[in-house]
Amino acid sequence: MKTIAFANQKGGVGKTTTAVTLAHGLARLGRRTLLVDLDPQGHVAFSLGLEKEPGLFNLIVSEMPLRKVVVHARENLDILPGDKMTEKVKRQITVSDFRESILANSLADLDYDAVLLDMAPSLDVLHVNGLVASDFVIIPTRLDALAVDGVREILLTMGEVSQRGHAFEGYSILPTFFDRTTRETLTQLQELVKTFGKKVWPPIPQDTRARESAAYGKSLWEYSPESTVLTGYADNGKHVGGYAQCLTRLLEVLDA
Amino acid sequence: MPDPKFERRPVLDPAVADLLSGMERRKAETQLPRQQREKKAKERAKITSRREQRATYDLPPQLRQRIKDLADRERLPASQLVSLALIRFLNDLETGAVDVDAMKQPSRSPRYDWNLDFPENLMPGLVLPRMIIKNGKKRS
Repeated sequence: MKTIAFANQKGGVGKTTTAVTLAHGLARLGRRTLLVDLDPQGHVAFSLGLEKEPGLFNLIVSEMPLRKVVVHARENLDILPGDKMTEKVKRQITVSDFRESILANSLADLDYDAVLLDMAPSLDVLHVNGLVASDFVIIPTRLDALAVDGVREILLTMGEVSQRGHAFEGYSILPTFFDRTTRETLTQLQELVKTFGKKVWPPIPQDTRARESAAYGKSLWEYSPESTVLTGYADNGKHVGGYAQCLTRLLEVLDA
Repeated sequence: MPDPKFERRPVLDPAVADLLSGMERRKAETQLPRQQREKKAKERAKITSRREQRATYDLPPQLRQRIKDLADRERLPASQLVSLALIRFLNDLETGAVDVDAMKQPSRSPRYDWNLDFPENLMPGLVLPRMIIKNGKKRS
């Protein structure tokens, strides 16, 4: 079992869409997947057409067993939903002993092939808990200066977590909302690639289908399997980017 | 120490490298004078329109050479000659003038059920791709 965190302290970069799409993508391939919502907005459940629930609160604060708080969302896909009660989880963690590893302990040795953590856009104690619980971090980012600065911040936080003894297997940067027609996109992508090289994964094209699918409570695989956001740009007979290609990169991480 | 003229290449995800080079090329094109920009656009459109017309098949080198010689002699595009030959063949196949079934031999390949066993007098010296000999054995 591997735990993958989706993190960027900047909001609106596509963390939840990425986590939901890849979680359902893994599940469709037969990988037993748990998607954990660490964001008090509770959008994981909403994106899959389910009700927001205090799943994380019940696990951490009420100390209910995981099997009682997970919600079966799709075949091979369970979610640990969140809602505004997740804010109270932070308070509980803050006053606890060994507070940085509380989530890691709660999610240890589960009967899943992959656990995906959809992190909140913040740098609080729950965020650190998510990083400590994860083996690999995927950092979605828009290609604008503010979001790319968020990448730097999350890497600094990961560095601090590593210094306290947690060993990450690695991280990847996932450009989202990619619009290949603008010069700013090219400039930011060049900068990212120059700095991070192979850690930059093929980008996710901007596509209204991604917003629509959440409104219908469907994953992109269900709502629009032929959309550019999934299949990527068709270029010279090849497809570049999109969540389908991202999924193959994620499988390489899981099977490494 | 490595030779100073050697430059270390960044290791990129191949899909990202493809995308980036395409975007960089397009950006470079936008900075060209209008005439050159239009020329590039035409070239790209031509390449794109030709993509549908392209197919790759393995042909015996002797057959390829014969087509090339004929195209040179007649001063015609080889692609048009091959198209003509294929149309004629397909017509002959439909009318029964050519019987493919008579040339079929079972194939050991998991991809195909049959191979064609060409009559020896069809084209003297013809060596088909599947008949290439490796380690003294015919590949099928």
